[in-house]
Amino acid sequence: MSNATSSTIAPASPSTGRPGLWRRLRGHQGRNLWFAAFVAPFLLGLMAFVYLPIVWSAYLSFFEARNTVNPTRFVGLDNYTYLLNDGLFIQSLLTFVAFALFIVPTTYVASLGLALLLNNLRWGQAFFRSVFFIPTAVSYVIAAIVWRFAFFSGARFGLLNQAITAAGGDQVNWLGGTNDLYWVALVSVRLWLQTGFYMILLIAGLQRIPQETYEAAALDGAAGWRLLRFITLPQLKATSVAVILLLLINAFQAFDEFYNMLGSIGSYPPYARPPLVHLYLIAVGGGQQDLGVGGAGTMILTAIIVLFGVGQNFILNRSNT
Amino acid sequence: MLGLGGGLAAAATLTACGQNNPLDGGSSATPGAGESSSMGSEAPMGDKPSLTQWYHQYGEEGVKEATERYAAEYEAATVTVKWNPGDYNSILAAQLLTDDVPDVFEAEQGGSLDQIRSGQLEDLTELIGDAKDDFNPAVMKRFTFEDKIHGIPQTIDMQLLYYRPSLLEAAGVEPPTTMEELIAATNAVKTDSMGGFFAGNDGGIGVLGTMFIWSAGYEQLNEDRTEAAFLNEDFYNGLVAFRDFSKSGGVVQAASAEWFSPDAFINEEVAFQWGGLWSLPAIKEAFGDDVGVLPFPAIGGNGRPSVPFGAFGACVAAEGKNVDASKEFVKWLWIDQEDKQVDFSDAYGTHIPAKPALVAQATQLADGPGADAAQFVSDSGFANDIMWSGAIGEKYGAALSNVIKNDADPAAEFEPLKALIASELEKLKG
Amino acid sequence: MRQQKFWLGVRYVVLVILALIFMLPFWVIVRNAFSTNANIVSATWQWFPDQLNLTNLRSLLENDSVGILRALGNSAIMAVLQTGGTILVSLLAGYALARYTHRASKLMLGLTLFTLMVPVATIFVPMFIITAQLGWVDTFRGLVVPTIFSAFATYLFRQYFLDFPEELEDASLVDGCNPWTSFWRIVVPNSKGIIAAVGTIVLIGAWNAFLWPSLVGRDATRTVQVALSQFMTSQGVRYPELFMGSLIVVAPMLVVFLFLQRYLVQGLTTSGLR
Repeated sequence: MSNATSSTIAPASPSTGRPGLWRRLRGHQGRNLWFAAFVAPFLLGLMAFVYLPIVWSAYLSFFEARNTVNPTRFVGLDNYTYLLNDGLFIQSLLTFVAFALFIVPTTYVASLGLALLLNNLRWGQAFFRSVFFIPTAVSYVIAAIVWRFAFFSGARFGLLNQAITAAGGDQVNWLGGTNDLYWVALVSVRLWLQTGFYMILLIAGLQRIPQETYEAAALDGAAGWRLLRFITLPQLKATSVAVILLLLINAFQAFDEFYNMLGSIGSYPPYARPPLVHLYLIAVGGGQQDLGVGGAGTMILTAIIVLFGVGQNFILNRSNT
Repeated sequence: MLGLGGGLAAAATLTACGQNNPLDGGSSATPGAGESSSMGSEAPMGDKPSLTQWYHQYGEEGVKEATERYAAEYEAATVTVKWNPGDYNSILAAQLLTDDVPDVFEAEQGGSLDQIRSGQLEDLTELIGDAKDDFNPAVMKRFTFEDKIHGIPQTIDMQLLYYRPSLLEAAGVEPPTTMEELIAATNAVKTDSMGGFFAGNDGGIGVLGTMFIWSAGYEQLNEDRTEAAFLNEDFYNGLVAFRDFSKSGGVVQAASAEWFSPDAFINEEVAFQWGGLWSLPAIKEAFGDDVGVLPFPAIGGNGRPSVPFGAFGACVAAEGKNVDASKEFVKWLWIDQEDKQVDFSDAYGTHIPAKPALVAQATQLADGPGADAAQFVSDSGFANDIMWSGAIGEKYGAALSNVIKNDADPAAEFEPLKALIASELEKLKG
Repeated sequence: MRQQKFWLGVRYVVLVILALIFMLPFWVIVRNAFSTNANIVSATWQWFPDQLNLTNLRSLLENDSVGILRALGNSAIMAVLQTGGTILVSLLAGYALARYTHRASKLMLGLTLFTLMVPVATIFVPMFIITAQLGWVDTFRGLVVPTIFSAFATYLFRQYFLDFPEELEDASLVDGCNPWTSFWRIVVPNSKGIIAAVGTIVLIGAWNAFLWPSLVGRDATRTVQVALSQFMTSQGVRYPELFMGSLIVVAPMLVVFLFLQRYLVQGLTTSGLR
């Protein structure tokens, strides 16, 4: 870029010798203009369809806004205090924590396991890789249909219940909420859908480990479990961190499979409610349309996740010094 | 911010109108032809106004065509019927927030408190005038708020308990009228392949919800609507009784279909099913005369049998573009056109006409279970109080679920509801 | 050595078992799609379908309340438009964020990363209001436009372009191109791999999207996932038709995936997550 033909030199402003305001705005060889041209569509779209709604949500959150976007009653922080005292909301945050505690380590271990199994496999690597990766193409809705009606149905004909009764046990009500077994269904569906994706990322990470490292380790006699723990995992650190971070962010945004596995039209049970489902029910779908509280909820959840992001960044940077 | 939205909206309306001219696109009764007529922002002078009418997706065959027929017959305006599958309440609520509201739409129980309060519904009290005495009083009570009416009842739906008399006879039990009798009857008739009582794949909690209040003999709120009126021993004992019923295996926790479908009952998966009146035709077809219906049994010493009823009301959007024309149409269809009202109630599934005088014309309610059902509504019909807001309902449902499914102590679980309901009611009164 | 061979054998056995487990849901969909209801809910699990004809397909197609054919068309249109739009917008933005590193760029990068984290589902209501006020409900504009601003896609492109050799562009600039033409004539044709990768991700994501289409779609724009979801909880649901519907909805994406997974793997592998 440095050898581009020079553009016209704008006259220096009379009082100082510095280039005029427009020239400075334009940047060196108009690069600011080019930058603007490239990012304009994206930026405008983000403003219109992401940031404007966020700001609007924030605005509504300070009002009593039921069934209206032109609220008249300013209530300050009432919506926030209501939400923070709402047992169901707090429970939804705990649900997220529980969900994350299940799904993140499980997916990571499963993806890593598959990656290790497939790494440097001579025959059929591409085939097995496809098999584990292809569920990524399936939607959460369809997976929920299969999980809800075919695998985890509480009635007799569900696959798992068939297996259990064949082994002599009683049929189990998986999704009914009389026990905590819906977690098995929710975690397993996400596992099936995601593991392949993260496996690919981890395989990429594994392949970046130079062969010499393995050779040196072999010379030292490291093998099997010790090889994994002391050589492979540390080399995978960057990729692992990225994978775990993505897993957490996605877990926080969980909606589709919960809504379709446990919900019916217009209703959703009080258990197994991740934060987004709960807010959706408040603001859109649960027999109410409380946009004030919905806005407050958005702000709270956004704050949580931003804090988390900042915190995680901080920790990473410190550990890298 | 909203100024910005307004500006954009104005500009966009002009462009949109160019592409979606409400005046072309033909006959009024064309179903779902995009949203052309909902952009009817400028009804030209001297021409018939264009109205949109929203319904949710009824499960029964033929309803959509019927509503389109009714709309087509109306001469004073061109009415386009929009059929909305999915979560109708959410879809409607979202649409009512925009500039592009449907002119006429059905709303549960004649409109929720939030809808009335936020001014989304036109006041129809004068429109209905004296005709309000023609409608079922219990329904009108629910539809009236602060002496104003915002919706005209279309037809009455209800839920009830289906059973097969032959099974009870074979086991030597009478049709149950109290919870204890129900539990005993269930245990007597259930077998290995046919379960006892079914009210949904969530163990009945969703649909039975407030039945526990009414069947225990209490109301949801007190007269002044300042606090809850059901938080007492009788109610708690009722919950415990149902919990024991569930845990003992008498309540079928999962079946091949939901409570609102007759399949589980028809497939003989269950002996007693809590279902909707709309399922009656299919059940009668399967079992002929061997069909009986009951209200939800009385619970406890103070108890009484109860059935929930509900009615969609035809409402007019206060912010619609053709309020007067819409009001005329709604009056024509749901107050004047009695033959259509009977047709709507009787010809597609089983429903109860909203005007008691018309019940005699409904063939399905002439005798047998249909007649019983109509009687239940008159004698023991209940509907959620208008101030039983979505938020209160959520909290109640959560507490109920914890008690029934997680063995929580009812008193402890419901205690916090006292304060919650009181403060929510205060907010609503605000 | 024998021990190595043994472990290798174990590895393959484990892989085969896992593969069977992973394929099971697909088999269930196929089995149910070609079964009668009795076969699906029978007292003992049936491994095989019992109605290997197109009866279920026919009754599904005739089922007006589902409207599967229309929904398939809508999903196809939406998915293609969304993929094209996203790629266009994100390609440009990602490139700029990679090539320019001044303050404005860093700010934008921060904005982009922040967007990645914001829970999208909650801002759907005000997003919907804006969309509705523009008159975009039940139109493809409303279905597609708000979704083409993907921080994820932009980020992926940026990561890729950070590694893209600048010499090619520099050479073209010497030859008289400006950054815009250089981008379109040099950079883009040499980035087909990442474009295919991101395109695949977006395409599959668009086809599988549920929340936004359920809010904005109506009769004319109902997509396939929404149709299935509504069918699933509707009064008239029938399992054979539900699973036949699932089969024909998942099939196109499986085909797309099988053809394009190479790019996907490459894209994810090389752009990495730094």
